[in-house]
Amino acid sequence: MTLLIEFRRDLLIALAGLVLLVAIGLGIDHAWPRDFLTSIFAAGLLAMSLNMLIGYTGLVSFGHAAFFAMGGYIFGLLLQSPAFTGALGAGSVPVALGVAVVGTGLYAVVIGAICVRLTEIYFAFLTLAFQMFLYSVILSWVDLTGGDQGLMGGIPRPIFLGIDLADQYHRYVFCAVLFVACVMIMRIMTESPFGYTLRMIRDNATRAAFLGVNVFRVKLICFVVSSSIAAVGGVILALFTSGAYPEWAFWAQSGEAIFMIMLGGLNVFLGPILGAVALRILNDVVQMYTSHTEIVIGVVIMFVVLGLRRGILDFVKDWWVEKQQARLAAENRNGQE
Amino acid sequence: MKKSYTRPRRGIDRRTVLKGAAAAAAVTTGITGFPAYLKAANTPIKIGVPTILSGRVAILGESSVAAIKNEIRKINEAGGIEGRTLEAVVRDSRGKPDEAARMTRDLVNNEGCDIILDAEASGASFAVNEVVRDMKQFCIHTNSETSSLTADPKNQVDWVFRSCRQGIHDAVGGGLVAAKVVKEKGLKKWATISPDYAYGRANTEEFMEYVKLFAPETEVITETWPKLFQPDYTENVTALLNAQPEVVYSCLWGGDLVAFFDQASLYGLFDQFTAFAVNLGDYPVLTAIKSRPAGVYSGSRYHKDIPDTAENEAWYESFMANSNVLPTNWSWQNAAAVNFVVEALKKTGGDTDSMKLAEATSGLTIDSPFGVDGTLTIREDDHTLVNYMVGYSKTIVDEPYVVDFDQTAWSEIYKHEAEWKKRNGYM
Repeated sequence: MTLLIEFRRDLLIALAGLVLLVAIGLGIDHAWPRDFLTSIFAAGLLAMSLNMLIGYTGLVSFGHAAFFAMGGYIFGLLLQSPAFTGALGAGSVPVALGVAVVGTGLYAVVIGAICVRLTEIYFAFLTLAFQMFLYSVILSWVDLTGGDQGLMGGIPRPIFLGIDLADQYHRYVFCAVLFVACVMIMRIMTESPFGYTLRMIRDNATRAAFLGVNVFRVKLICFVVSSSIAAVGGVILALFTSGAYPEWAFWAQSGEAIFMIMLGGLNVFLGPILGAVALRILNDVVQMYTSHTEIVIGVVIMFVVLGLRRGILDFVKDWWVEKQQARLAAENRNGQE
Repeated sequence: MKKSYTRPRRGIDRRTVLKGAAAAAAVTTGITGFPAYLKAANTPIKIGVPTILSGRVAILGESSVAAIKNEIRKINEAGGIEGRTLEAVVRDSRGKPDEAARMTRDLVNNEGCDIILDAEASGASFAVNEVVRDMKQFCIHTNSETSSLTADPKNQVDWVFRSCRQGIHDAVGGGLVAAKVVKEKGLKKWATISPDYAYGRANTEEFMEYVKLFAPETEVITETWPKLFQPDYTENVTALLNAQPEVVYSCLWGGDLVAFFDQASLYGLFDQFTAFAVNLGDYPVLTAIKSRPAGVYSGSRYHKDIPDTAENEAWYESFMANSNVLPTNWSWQNAAAVNFVVEALKKTGGDTDSMKLAEATSGLTIDSPFGVDGTLTIREDDHTLVNYMVGYSKTIVDEPYVVDFDQTAWSEIYKHEAEWKKRNGYM
């Protein structure tokens, strides 16, 4: 209850955001905004959950997409199993979603317990190693995962509570609700004392430890939660593409998420979302004119890195803060006169 | 001049503005994208083509696009369909399944494409298959040879077809020719070198299965699996040389096959063993290999003399005159796809409704330069192409590069295909 009161402003904004998203999706008689936003929901959750590690905790993970892929694969595999859908019937989709999130979370506990003991480049490379391990498993376990062809034959989606995920409107609203809920969870986490503990660990882990913070446990909780949220992103993409593919577990997918964070900004909560939107629009627009997408995207990122020296929203935030401070300073001077 | 100044509620403002901006951007892009969707009687019939135009496979994707554009040009010059022209909208998916899935949606929803020709390789074609199933969108797969795409009932979709080779057809043909050759020469010990991914493993398994069926004394003594797009084949060549087989089979393709042949020739591999390479007989591959070995058995891909007809020769000339790339196996498959689409559109009176097109395409037979007796058919029961050229030729160093085409009869293929389907529980 106190949580509701404390975060009432954020909750209201989230609700307004959800209403806006639903209005866009249902109000425009065209599938494109729905498709575009659904892919943003998936990529956005991947990037934002990764930013909980990178931006808030200072843990640069190169293997975050593993959890994204795992969510998609668990969800798809469960629903593809006739035994599972037969036993649970209408409850299949929510249960599969739950198992995908919790299952990925458990996997993240194991991986996290090993990885978060390390920092910097060692942490980065160990997460990368575990991601490539999962990638290899997906590729070689052809009987279960379909190997490099991914999950074939579509993902059945039994109707639950009147929600038919085969219908594009239902699917869009379902994904939008998942997305906003996850964003809200991340908001609460990062703005709560726990979130400030994360920032403290990022800035000085030793000091945090001396203040009585169990650094390992806090890092691990953050790692597990962010992995579970990435899994929700994977579920959304699995629903959207009606399959799951090993490319989702490839390092390039993690790299793309890091790109999004760099592009959008890592010190502003919604920065990674802006990065995801910018990267997607850039990709789609460039695709229409040339097949040399990578070169153009590379040039844009170079411009952001060299020109702004930070993400777009970081730049905007810094500019805003500087302006405020200049104004305050001017007022102070005026006041002294 | 002191002004009382209260700081604005920054938090709310900033976030609201950002959300508003993001939404406005989405809405604006949605609206500007909108006109593409509006259909009118005199607008072109748009054909969306997700394919691979970057990386080592680009040459095949480019030859697909060239073939599609050339066929469309011919149709449009002849007046189009019911007064409407055809137009291809091509997108490069870089062969990534999720990218191909997204692009296919985009081609239909944003570009307003009426028809999808899925010119992806196997991996991404399965992704496109699920998207068009989901969207109830008429589609023809033009490049994926993986048998299960149309043979496995779980992948079959009422409004989706395939206009290209199928692995199992080539495996039967290859098995028959290979068995004949090894029996004549008295060869028993085989080795395989194929790319390590689904297509490579499935294709090699199917081929060897039929060699063993037709020549039971066959024995595979070693298998080596280079990675896809591997730059250096030394370890694989060494493995083959150490095992000392009598015959080698490979389903390497494109740039990988060129790299392997160039490197293996240094070791004189093809002087020591009889070799079968199903994907060798494509013009860009044959012309790219520096030291073309003679006497290698090559599967049928595309060749202007196979079949040796005036129609095929004319198609080749037309392609060469209108393209800056050489024709490949992917070229004829995509040209055939456009021909099927055009025939289906004629049957529906230019109606692009997916279900009507599907009904018109199912069981459709068209006149084609690539067919065994001048016709190609999309079979009704599994929506896949039959009656195209299957068989093996032998390479020679100079033009026309391959000779002595040993054609496999379709009656043989049908018989073994039916048994294979039963064995795999597909029927």
